[in-house]
Amino acid sequence: MEESRVLDEAQVTGHRVRSTDVLVVLLLLVVAARFLLPGAFDAPVVQAWSTVFVAVCLQALPFLVLGVLLSAAISTLVPASFFARALPRRPALAVPVAGAAGLVLPGCECASVPVAGSLVRRGITPAAALAFLLSAPAINPVVLVATAVAFPDAPAVVVARFVASLAVALVMGWLWTAFGRGEWLRLPTRHEHPPGDGRAAAFLGVVQHDLVHAGGFLVVGGLTAAALNVLVPRAWLDALAAEPVLAVLVLAALAVLLAICSEADAFVAAGLTSFSLTARLAFLVVGPAVDVKLVALQAGTFRSRFAVRFAPVTFGVAVASASLVGWWLL
Amino acid sequence: MNRLTQHLLLVLLGGVTLRVALGQGYLAYVQAGFRPLLVAAGAAVLAVGVLGVLRGRPGTTEHPGPRVAWLLVAPVAVLLVVAPGPLGAFTAQRQAAPVSAPATEVPLGIGADDPGADHRTMTLSGYAIRTQQTDTSPLEGRTIRLVGFLSPREGGGWYLARIRIACCAADATAVQVVLDGDVHGTADQWVEVVGRYAPSSPHPGLGYPEPTLTPDTVTPVPAPADGYED
Repeated sequence: MEESRVLDEAQVTGHRVRSTDVLVVLLLLVVAARFLLPGAFDAPVVQAWSTVFVAVCLQALPFLVLGVLLSAAISTLVPASFFARALPRRPALAVPVAGAAGLVLPGCECASVPVAGSLVRRGITPAAALAFLLSAPAINPVVLVATAVAFPDAPAVVVARFVASLAVALVMGWLWTAFGRGEWLRLPTRHEHPPGDGRAAAFLGVVQHDLVHAGGFLVVGGLTAAALNVLVPRAWLDALAAEPVLAVLVLAALAVLLAICSEADAFVAAGLTSFSLTARLAFLVVGPAVDVKLVALQAGTFRSRFAVRFAPVTFGVAVASASLVGWWLL
Repeated sequence: MNRLTQHLLLVLLGGVTLRVALGQGYLAYVQAGFRPLLVAAGAAVLAVGVLGVLRGRPGTTEHPGPRVAWLLVAPVAVLLVVAPGPLGAFTAQRQAAPVSAPATEVPLGIGADDPGADHRTMTLSGYAIRTQQTDTSPLEGRTIRLVGFLSPREGGGWYLARIRIACCAADATAVQVVLDGDVHGTADQWVEVVGRYAPSSPHPGLGYPEPTLTPDTVTPVPAPADGYED
């Protein structure tokens, strides 16, 4: 039954080479590789890369699904007037409110990108949506508890992480208010469902579109993170730990490249014992704000013109914030 | 990419995720406690894809979908073709780091021998941190049993190793214990080692102290379902 409908649709769609055909060919290649090349993927480096790649994808998938469902609910079920009432009208005031609202989304950074995208679509001032985007993955209770568990001997790290990450979110929101240009942030138009389809259909349509889209960008991040994880031995990093300034920059860069989920990064940071606490704070503050998978997701949601400006500035602000807070509190 | 292809990709992704989460496979990638989230996510993605395939009506206008969505084939293909197992000796060699001593005043003990046995079973990380205490008296004179896989040591010899993950395999670190004795085996072979505490030996290249054990017996054992230490 299901199969015959699939065939019907494929026959009606009138492209010369239909993407469905390409998919079928790809799948046949996969099946062929499975049976014709046993042992071709047994090299330890291939195995380790594959494990890490799959792990990054699987680890992020539940949070991505949660984010996509939430964002679809915001786009289709919550009336736009709700946000107009809930947030202060002046962007400069809306930024701290939205930043603090990040406390309540228990997820990692993969969830916050689609949600922030739908907030912008709903007419929220972009500055406030960006503050939420940066604060939600860094200061939610799950992440803070994980950080406390990972640093049992240094509770100040939890406070420092909260302060530094919230500061990054607010500063970036205000920077956008002051210097941001509307044309940098052009959300791809979404194909509206024909009227009369009902909210359920609209919801489903948004979920389908966002899952495929954000999922693709998540894979980009997974491919990069797995490659770096396998290619850069730990000993190279430890050799750099002795230089205080270099150590901060190295761990900040590592946070970008490894793209570890914000709920797990505290455990990784705790393991980097040769580095100073401030350097490890930089790792914790930069990671949820800028990393390869996040930049890929942002480029997908907000267009690359936005991502190429937003990511480097966020990186700079996050390193500065972590250094200052680390110097003050740790 | 037309709508149908997008929906089929979601069906594939959801299906493969469910298959990995419902079997034992997921233990190679994430923590055991993550399973319910994976099952829920896989089921949601599968449901969204199936609904899309069923609701797709012939004749509706086709929108070209995002090209990046083709990459969703990658995790599906890697899981089906490579079906990568848990991280092992390759990662252990790269991700090992110096073990730091626990920050307690009183040295950590290791407890009584296992019921009905004359040795004490420990986790590798539990043993490793206790060897770095200034007072190693709780370990001395005791027989200790450790389970892990063999990982080659620079300049010959073997480590007994375990991979630790906090969240997923991307954050893997390794704990290694030098096996100070004549051990024969192959990398990634799981073994049970019963032996005695020995003072830490310096890392061949970097010189930091590495936890060490003098093995009395080294017995091959099957790899456990969940080979990672928390």
